[in-house]
Amino acid sequence: MAKAKPIPDLSADGAYADAAARIVEVRTGELVEHAQGVLDTGDIERVHDMRVATRRLRAALEIFEPCFPVKSHRQALAEVKRLADGLGERRDRDVAIASLHAFNDQMAAPDRRGVDSLIERLRAEQEEANVALTPLVEEANLRALREGLQELTREARSVAA
Amino acid sequence: MKARPVKKLDPTRSLGENAARIIQVRLDEMRSFAPKALDGKAKAQHDMRIAAKRVRYVLEATGFCFGRPADTARRRARDLQDILGEIHDCEVMMPRVRAHLDQLQRVDAEAVRTKAGDAPDLDPRLAAQARHRTAYRGLDLLSVYLEARRRLLFDRFEAFWRRQEETGTWTRLERAVNRYLHRTREARRTVKAAERARLQAEAAERAARRAEAQSKRARLDRERAGASSDDLPGHRPEKSTQR
Repeated sequence: MAKAKPIPDLSADGAYADAAARIVEVRTGELVEHAQGVLDTGDIERVHDMRVATRRLRAALEIFEPCFPVKSHRQALAEVKRLADGLGERRDRDVAIASLHAFNDQMAAPDRRGVDSLIERLRAEQEEANVALTPLVEEANLRALREGLQELTREARSVAA
Repeated sequence: MKARPVKKLDPTRSLGENAARIIQVRLDEMRSFAPKALDGKAKAQHDMRIAAKRVRYVLEATGFCFGRPADTARRRARDLQDILGEIHDCEVMMPRVRAHLDQLQRVDAEAVRTKAGDAPDLDPRLAAQARHRTAYRGLDLLSVYLEARRRLLFDRFEAFWRRQEETGTWTRLERAVNRYLHRTREARRTVKAAERARLQAEAAERAARRAEAQSKRARLDRERAGASSDDLPGHRPEKSTQR
């Protein structure tokens, strides 16, 4: 799992709204960075890293909620949640398939067929989840999300000032 | 699970003060699920996992304001989230495995029935040749494995929670946060008292200045009064007698 990037110049005595702007800015950058190769089912860690990035961003939006205008905050949070849900659907299948493979590897060959058939079913669901995820991680969608979040950080900075 | 609202958050105040208020609520929320979660209630375990996640992420963003207790609590909240997450994964997978097995058996039963055709009764040998028959055992074994793993993880969860209570992981964070808020309140009180004292000093200075001005005015009035009585008609200033 990717470690969270440190936030420069954050201090306990600094203004809450200023911290909100700094943290949301960095977490948004992380989210966009992790979008590359996320649809590749051969490397399941990419989805995991991007999902963790959405969790961090969602957490920041929830922690600093009072620093943002209600309407645009609600909208941004809903967008991030939609992305997180899409990543979650994929991740759930990735994890289930990996754990079933790990289980099956320890079974005698004649006992593997049942679990293999379940893995096959999960593979189909993983593919469906990937199709649903595709528009959410497209560049245009992520750009729009980023712009919405940048607007929020500007608002937070004006509150801090 | 919807997060409990946090009162008294103020964007114009410090990050530390607001973070302290959030942590108080999130910590309390997480601990409130412990009795039912330890009693084996799946819903409470699920809610506690979400609450632990919230504690973890608020500490990841703001824990530096509260020192070592926050750092320890963040790591332990992550461990708790992991254990409860694995229990949750078992609980989600168990019905899926059973549903898959049921489906295979339903498909087989239909096929066996079709094969029997117009026979007056079913030949057991037809069932022994069912298409998915070799898949049942692996799925049954998986069900047993998941149930046993869920129980093992639950025992780990119980022991883990007890250890955190004994070592005071959450209590230390709670105290650190309360101390921070106490210090903040004290600092604000000191600032207010200093401000009051400054205002009082300024008021006293203004009053002194007013009194001085009044006495000055009075002196001038007296002097003026003295001067004007000299100018009254019929009033003859005393002549100095020079001999």
